[in-house]
Amino acid sequence: MAQESMTTNERLWAAIRLEQPDRVPVVPLVTAEPAAHLAGMTLAEVAGSNQKAIEAYRKVLSKFGGWDSMHGGPITPLQQQVTNIYPMKMRIPGRDLPDGYMFQLVEEEFMKPEDYDRICEMGIDAFYYEDYLWRITDLTPDDVQREVTNVLTMWPEFDAELKKYDMRPLILASDFHPFFRLSLMRSMVAFTQDLYYNPEPVERTIKQITKELIPKNIAIAKGSGIDTCLFTDERASAFYYPLAVFERFWWPYTEEIVDAFWSEGIVTVFHLDTCWDKNLPYFKRLPRGSAVVGLDSTTDIFLAKQVLRDHLCIHGDVPASLLSLGKPEEVEAYCKRLIDEVGAGGGLILGTGCATPPDCKPENFRAMIETGKNYG
Amino acid sequence: MKEELVAALVKLERDEVLGMVTQRIEAGEDPLGILEDCRQGMTAVGDLLQQGDYFLAELLLSAEIFKGAVAILQPHLAKSHSSQLRAKVVLATLKGDIHDLGKNILATLLQAQGFEVHDLGVDVPPPLVLEKVKEIRPEFVGFSALITTAFASMKEAADLLQQAGLRNGLKLMIGGGVTTPIVKDYVGADFQTLDAMEGVNYCLNVVGGR
Repeated sequence: MAQESMTTNERLWAAIRLEQPDRVPVVPLVTAEPAAHLAGMTLAEVAGSNQKAIEAYRKVLSKFGGWDSMHGGPITPLQQQVTNIYPMKMRIPGRDLPDGYMFQLVEEEFMKPEDYDRICEMGIDAFYYEDYLWRITDLTPDDVQREVTNVLTMWPEFDAELKKYDMRPLILASDFHPFFRLSLMRSMVAFTQDLYYNPEPVERTIKQITKELIPKNIAIAKGSGIDTCLFTDERASAFYYPLAVFERFWWPYTEEIVDAFWSEGIVTVFHLDTCWDKNLPYFKRLPRGSAVVGLDSTTDIFLAKQVLRDHLCIHGDVPASLLSLGKPEEVEAYCKRLIDEVGAGGGLILGTGCATPPDCKPENFRAMIETGKNYG
Repeated sequence: MKEELVAALVKLERDEVLGMVTQRIEAGEDPLGILEDCRQGMTAVGDLLQQGDYFLAELLLSAEIFKGAVAILQPHLAKSHSSQLRAKVVLATLKGDIHDLGKNILATLLQAQGFEVHDLGVDVPPPLVLEKVKEIRPEFVGFSALITTAFASMKEAADLLQQAGLRNGLKLMIGGGVTTPIVKDYVGADFQTLDAMEGVNYCLNVVGGR
């Protein structure tokens, strides 16, 4: 065990502030599905019950001994839909899929071109709850209310479990970039056609959603006492779009959002899937220490370190395929390389590339946690 | 007209391309000639992608335009069309996964390059792949995945093909966001990529270039 002189929270924030922590903080994204798998439960059990999901986390924390902050929580797929985390139709294990399946998002053109104007008129939240949600779910309004209530009432029990391991949630405020949200609602192909053939409504709508999400997430972060906001995009990188699209539809709103959060002392925790290599230099324009850049292993994290060194903290990126199929010694070697190269001088949170996969080998999960704790 | 059609497709001018295709077919032109022009446009888009001038978004848009052109031409295409096909490809997103964006792009790009694509869809049980391979004897089989739980299905399908003695006669490709060389080795695939255009080039190289 590395010599520890900081609490988990001090360690996490030292990394975020680009100071040298006593060891690298370890924060894998563990959603309820890998928690179930690692706990020996089925994915269907946690997809249908917060209590079962909390039980899964309890077992995992007991088995692996906890880490530095909890990224993920015992929220069910339906609750992710009704709380507007995922604006997608869902297929759920135990209901629509076999018990061992990962829940799946159905991408169809549920949002129509004329809905851009409706969102601008109504606001995204009103549009979602008064109209769009009923296009993607069979739930009744009472069901929706019950699920939202369940999220709020179960959380203290989960939080108490975390406290036993001196762990706090990494984030409680969470949102998608408006660009990503609209792409999911319109579907990728239709949204891309909108961007190229009819861009003005898209631009107006991104502006509108940006205007709404800033105060909402500041209020959530401030109310929770966790001064971070998760900000996810899986589709705006140069893997998909040229920099001209990125510069027009993504970056200005990102800067506006990060600056607004930062002015309130809130750090933006990016969750960036796909390859952002060509987009990395833009992130240097953000205020030093104002964000954490989470990468999924398709972006070159070692290049990211070169570009963002001593400017923004990097979070990642043990690949899902390595955790599913690799050997513990391979996981250990990769974590050591991350710690040595990306962690040099501070500014690394050791984590998973995207999320812990739902078929993660337990010995590989342990290798990741233990390497962070002992080598970091 | 030929150059205009190719240029319009390269510039992603959807309405212009579909208008020209309609106009030419109504004027009695050979549909295979028009299709060939569209393919040339798609090849040029692929070249721009490889040079770094175009991105996946442009590839996606060109593929949609190509599909629209094929839909107009389809009723006019004679049987002779099939004799010009380069090779057969079976594609699937296997059991445990329903993500198909990458697979669909690859399917369209391969069709644009003259491959006969048999897309089995999503959440496909591995025995169904074996059945299809037995039936049509393709040169290529491709699996796409966005979540790791599809790896076991990929391996199962590859093993079924091996056990049936069909593996040596074909090239097995895997692709999608979570695939890596580790997954390629685990499945026993011949090729792995995150990039649909790389997949097309792999197929073209195997069958003898473009």
